[in-house]
Parts: sequence; C-alpha cells; structure tokens
Amino acid sequence: MTLLSIEALEVRYGAVPALRGVSVTVGAGEAVALLGANGAGKSTLMKAVIGLVRPAAGRILFDGRPLEGLRADRRARMGVGYCPEGRRVFAGMTVRENLLVACWGGGRQRAQRIDAMFAMFPALAARQGVLAWQLSGGQQQMLAIGRSLMDAPRLLLLDEPSLGLSPLLTDEVLGRIPAIVAGGTAVLLAEQNAAKALGVCSRGVVLKLGQVAAEGRAADLAASDEVRAAFLGG
Amino acid sequence: MAIAQLLVEVLALGAAYALVALGFVLILNATGAVNFAQGDLVMAGGFGAVLLADRLHVSGLVLLPALLAGMAVLGVVVALAAYMPLRRRPPEAVFISTIAVGIILQNVANRLFGAEPVATPPLFGAGRVRFAGVDASVQSVAIIGVAALLIAALYTLFTHTQFGRRLRATAYDRDMAMAIGIPVDRMIAGTFAVAAALAGAAGLLLSNTFFVTPSSGSDYMIKAYIAVVIGGWGSIRGAVAGALLIAAFEVLYPSLPLLVPALLWMPSSDAVFSQTTSTIVLDVAVLLILVVRPQGLFGEAARQRP
Repeated sequence: MTLLSIEALEVRYGAVPALRGVSVTVGAGEAVALLGANGAGKSTLMKAVIGLVRPAAGRILFDGRPLEGLRADRRARMGVGYCPEGRRVFAGMTVRENLLVACWGGGRQRAQRIDAMFAMFPALAARQGVLAWQLSGGQQQMLAIGRSLMDAPRLLLLDEPSLGLSPLLTDEVLGRIPAIVAGGTAVLLAEQNAAKALGVCSRGVVLKLGQVAAEGRAADLAASDEVRAAFLGG
Repeated sequence: MAIAQLLVEVLALGAAYALVALGFVLILNATGAVNFAQGDLVMAGGFGAVLLADRLHVSGLVLLPALLAGMAVLGVVVALAAYMPLRRRPPEAVFISTIAVGIILQNVANRLFGAEPVATPPLFGAGRVRFAGVDASVQSVAIIGVAALLIAALYTLFTHTQFGRRLRATAYDRDMAMAIGIPVDRMIAGTFAVAAALAGAAGLLLSNTFFVTPSSGSDYMIKAYIAVVIGGWGSIRGAVAGALLIAAFEVLYPSLPLLVPALLWMPSSDAVFSQTTSTIVLDVAVLLILVVRPQGLFGEAARQRP
C-alpha cells in the first residue's frame, strides 16, 4: 500500500528550479533511500512533504489525501514526522522537554513514548535533564530523531542524519532505521552516504540536479554505475 | 531598621517591574519583535482594575483573576491586530504597529477615564504590618507575594505543562515547532495573552501607590526595556534581575542621604538626590553597562556549541 505519493513535483527558489518533475513513492512499512549529491534537491523534497516550502506544481498525497493547502502542523498531526538536516533541537530546552513537546497524547502515552525513546537511544536517558545545546553532535542527532518519533508518525522524513557525525556514530544512527520501520513507521532517508543508506533501506531513488536520475531496489542501485556517476558528479 | 524597610520597598517595586519586563521578553522571544505597547498594557490593567473595583467593590486580590482573564483577551486582540497581519514582515513592522496600539490604548483611556490620576484598590487593605522588627506597608508585602506567585505560576506553566513547552518551542524555532505539529500562530497569540495578563497585574499592583493616567504607560515601557537590556536581551532571568536592579536604584538612590547622613552636607544635596537626578543617573549607568558588557549583565555571548 502506498503511504506517500509524490507526483511530478516542482519547487523553485525564485527563478532557480530546485525540483523538476520529481515522482517518488514510499509504501507503508518501507524504508526508501533518497540519494544524491549536495544540492540535488533532497532537503527541498523533504521540506515540500512536511510543508515548509510550497511547490510550484505537482501533487503530494499522504495516505491517499492531498496535502496541498495544509500547513506543516496539520501534516505533522496527520502522521508525518520530520527530522531536519542540522538537527534543529530546541536549544534551551532539556532533552526530556524536547521529547515531551513533540507528543500529542496524554500523560501516560507521553511517559510510554519517552521510555521507548530512551530504550532506543540509551545515551539520551543518561542526559535527560541536560539542555539540548550542551549535547554532542551525535546525541543531538539522536534527540532530533527521537523527537520526530514521539508522536508515532506513520512516515518519518529523515534528512541527512549522518551530517557531521563520525563513521562509527553514523552507523549507530542509521542502524536504528530497521527498528523504526519494524515499529510501524515508514522512512524516507535522505543521505549523501549512498552505500550506508542503501544498506538499511529496501529501495532507493537517486536525485541529480532536481530530477530523478535512477531508482530501484537497494541491492541493484548499490551495484549500479549510475549511482556512482551521480555522486562523482559525472 | 531603615535598610530592611527600604529593601521591602525595593522588592515590591522590583517584583512589579519584573512582571512588565517578563511580558516584554516573552513576546520578544516568541516573535523576535519588540512589543512597544507593553507599557500601555500596564496602564490598561490599571484602569481595568479601577473599573472592576467600581463595579464589584472588592479588594484588589479578589478582582485579580478577572483582571488577568480580561487582559489575556486584550493580549489576543493585540496579537490579531498588530502582529498577525505583519508576521511575515521584518520585526520593525511589529515595532511600529505596537506603537500604534499603544497610542490607541492611551486615547481610549483618555476618552473613558479622563486625564486625572486615579488609584487602583489595594490588594488587601491599607495599613502597615510589623514583623521581625521591620515595619512595612501591607500593600508592599502583598505586592511581593502576588508577584512572586505569578512568577512561580509562569515558571510552572513553562516547564510543567505541554502548553508552556509548546510556547517555548515556538520561540526557539518556529518552523521546527510547526513541523512537530504545533499551531505556532495560536502559540504566539497565547504568548501575547500571557504578556498582557502580566502587564495588567503590574498595573493593578503599581497604580495603588503611583496612580494611573492615560500616559503612565511610557514610563513602564522604558523601565521594562532597560530591565531587558541590562539583564541581557532575551534572557528571562535577566529580565527579572534587571527589574530588581532598576527598583533598587530608584528606591535607594534618593534615600542615600538618609542612609549616609554625611551626604546631607554636600552642596545642593536635595537636587543631587532628587527623583529627577535619579532618572538621569540611571540612564547614564545603563549606557555605561552597555559599553562594558554589550550583551547585558546576564546575557550569554553565544549559546551555540562550537
């Protein structure tokens, strides 16, 4: 079943086109890697889905419903989780508060979810009273992911979680994706690190200069020359 | 115990100023914009309290909840009229529109109540209390209690309720707040409601001693502004500390000859320690603080991890 369906999406920043006729689908319970070099349009696509940039043309359907005209907060409440590039944790709020604020359930549900997040990211549990800006980069990334999962979204838009992280931490963060999918949340993962992203996703889409350059099963893409070309700027 | 008595006055005045400054800094953090109507909201709260007291014939403490509610509604109206239409414009636009709101409030007050100074009812009653050898007015002690209660309630709201956490998240990163489902426009209207309620409470607390006229807002506006500047632009604790410092200065400076009798022998000591000179010295002190510490006394130069 298709959960997210992006059809012929166009986004422009002024006169500059960022996405040109991009179509991507994500099925329920699926993890899809969105690959491409810096500036290929990955973040723009994520922002268009959550509603932080307005498309010039095209359609986005979530669970069969068109998202056009809905503000980001409405989309989030429908079950779209967004973990942005650069983390953007609420700097002066504690780890615990950053998680709590993103949950719309009652007190009991908040407590349950927060326990689940601390189980997924034990490093956060030890630092729950610390202000978010005082965390290390890796911990901030875990907090940003935890925050985006606090309302149990059906789809998680995960934008460049490996940015600025060591290879070891990248593995740790990306390694959580199968568990997230198993928990009932489909994932659209934007990554520059194609090999690692394809290792945790079942399908991949390659963006190049705002257009889909290739797509297919993760294993096929990992072996493809086109993918290498897209990343080496060929 | 002249000093202890003066300290009670400092705390009472400072706590009331702190309510004004807190409202100012909350809106500043939530919108990035300066609310220049904050002083006039204090004035509106003063007149609102006078109006309620005329109708209900109860003490200030009893009418406080109704005043807070009424002022919160006024805050939402200010948000809808002066902020929402301009929210995608530079913050300077809101700066101007809130000045306009202030002028409107002043003229409405002038029309409804006239230019004569009036006093709000005392919180409990007149008279003085003595404890531990300190003799203080009931009103001053009550102001300290009520302001402390309001600040504690504010703290609880922001740290222990989802609504308060959402208000803070909106202030830190509006787009990100939206992306986790927070209706940010409603949160900003809520911030204006809280800020106006705090200003209104300050109007009730202050106008018993200092009276209220349609033009008394500008004085409070300047004090809130100075409190936030010396406390550190955007710092909540700094706003409270700045308000207390201003109050300490205003109370203690004119009383210096009382505390240090030697000063009375200074030539023209009456003029040197008058209220007018006090204002001048305060303004100069603020300029000096800004030269030495541009980020304010409690402001942090940077809150980013390198």
